[in-house]
Amino acid sequence: MTVRTRTVPKRRSLTRRPLGFWLTKLVQYTVLITFALVCIVPLFWVVSTSLKTTGEIARNPLGLPPSPHWENYRQAWVQGRFGKYLRNSIYVTLPIVLVGLALACVAGYGFARFGFPGSGVIFYTFLLGLMIPFQSIMIPLFYILKDIGFIGTYWAMIVPSIALNLPFGIFFMRAFFLGLPRDLADAALIDGCNEFDVFWRVMLPLAGPGVSSLGVFQFMGAWNSFLLPLIYMQKEELRPLVLGLMFYRTRYTQNYPLIMAGAGIVMVPIIIVYVIFQRKFIQGLTAGALRG
Amino acid sequence: MQATSGSALRARTRGNASALRTAAMGYAFVLPAFALYLFFVIYPFFVSIYYSLTKWDGAQPVKQFVGLANYARFLSDRLVWQSLQHNVVWIILGTITPIAIGLFLGILLWSGARGIVFYRTVYFLPVVLSEVVIAIIWNWIYHPLMGALNLLLKGVGLGSLARGWLGDPGTALPALIVAAIWSYYGFCFVVIMAGLQNVNLELVEAATIDGANGWQRVVHVIIPELRHVLTMITAVTLIGGFNVFGIVFVMTQGGPGTATQVIATYMYRKAFQESEVGYGSALAVLMTALSLVASYIFIRLRERGEQ
Repeated sequence: MTVRTRTVPKRRSLTRRPLGFWLTKLVQYTVLITFALVCIVPLFWVVSTSLKTTGEIARNPLGLPPSPHWENYRQAWVQGRFGKYLRNSIYVTLPIVLVGLALACVAGYGFARFGFPGSGVIFYTFLLGLMIPFQSIMIPLFYILKDIGFIGTYWAMIVPSIALNLPFGIFFMRAFFLGLPRDLADAALIDGCNEFDVFWRVMLPLAGPGVSSLGVFQFMGAWNSFLLPLIYMQKEELRPLVLGLMFYRTRYTQNYPLIMAGAGIVMVPIIIVYVIFQRKFIQGLTAGALRG
Repeated sequence: MQATSGSALRARTRGNASALRTAAMGYAFVLPAFALYLFFVIYPFFVSIYYSLTKWDGAQPVKQFVGLANYARFLSDRLVWQSLQHNVVWIILGTITPIAIGLFLGILLWSGARGIVFYRTVYFLPVVLSEVVIAIIWNWIYHPLMGALNLLLKGVGLGSLARGWLGDPGTALPALIVAAIWSYYGFCFVVIMAGLQNVNLELVEAATIDGANGWQRVVHVIIPELRHVLTMITAVTLIGGFNVFGIVFVMTQGGPGTATQVIATYMYRKAFQESEVGYGSALAVLMTALSLVASYIFIRLRERGEQ
């Protein structure tokens, strides 16, 4: 089919195609574009609303802002303390991702490279964690964190998140390291590297694509995490961005421009980063959510 | 795994010093992560079971042991059953619909449309948004006076259907599920699209030659070819359906009344708002059990599929 259309001049192939073909195409693209609009229009509407005044919204809720009121964003940023919450999100997300990746790589490599007594039991214990939802441990974990003095500090979110991310991280990295040629590590060993050098200088650099996928997954998980900080980070000064947005919304229930500006502050940066790195995001998030 | 620990064992019986070193190295790599995991995941998992056998308000120094009383209370607690029922509705609608949409869009694009990267990027966009943002977007769409949905209905002459979608007990739960589907169908689409890349084109062509129409090709050739992907995504969605929390909590808090209460929001209310830690823990154990059963069935299905 493709071969034929390539050899025939374009106009003739147009006239040769039956009407049914074009109708099918029309329906096909209409459906595809409709669903794309369904995804985008609500987001667009949020941003458009965030640039209006309350009066303009009441007069014409769906219309575009007559002139954009950027000051809504400044007001929301200040009143909602989003600067503070943004910093909190960064403070907790960075260690969750970096330490989480480090532990997952090291342990995943350990399972892939070394045989040791009990490795099977330990590995299956980790696998069990893939099936335990956070909700099933959240209540006792709250009292444990309270007892060791983590509640009221950033640790209350950082440490449990790292631990909860371990099962999938290890499972994922182990599979990745198993896919790398074992001879490479052995050769490096013969060349005089010790096992840590082999891991750090030879194998880890090869695992780059796996590490970055896992990193995206854990970053999004931590950045959008809601239930965990809701319970463990109740102190106002500790709230991450998402939680700050929720409380901000309950405080200004009727002030739609400010709520939408708050939502815009939270979602627009993520959307920009996503669009730039969409391939990596999609890879990491689907691999993560499907457990490998 | 079996093979590696077996070789370690063999080497150890030989008294090989280098094997011992290898084992030590293995522990050095694995144990830091394992210690953290044991203390912050496995230990609380068992404590959860213990709490579920007690009556405790979270503040008293003594937890009163009550045996299975909390579980017996499920039988008479209408709200548990109502919440579970909402979870079941959520699971059925929230699994079938996004997968059907994803499959539909996937096949449309796969059968020769341009711009895969564009559509993939757009459809997947809501997946990266936080539940709180999704909740704000949809609360705004459902707004009784200024929401897009009611305005749209009025615009096409269906103004009589307009209502406070989230305030009406009859529509609140479906309205939440629609928001959840919106945020999820792009994910199903991407996974199904990846599966479609592996479909054997010769099978599809053979079916076409045999005179199968488009619908028959989808039902008898493409869907069977996709069964792995479809089982996997169904399982993940289904298990997630037991744990749903954020969207419900932010959009309706389980209301109006208890019209959208699901098991996770009910558990949160019991354990953290009404200080019934023991009973809340029993709900957590119930939820875990349901998730584990679903996971187990899924693993068995996948094993059978692989044979």
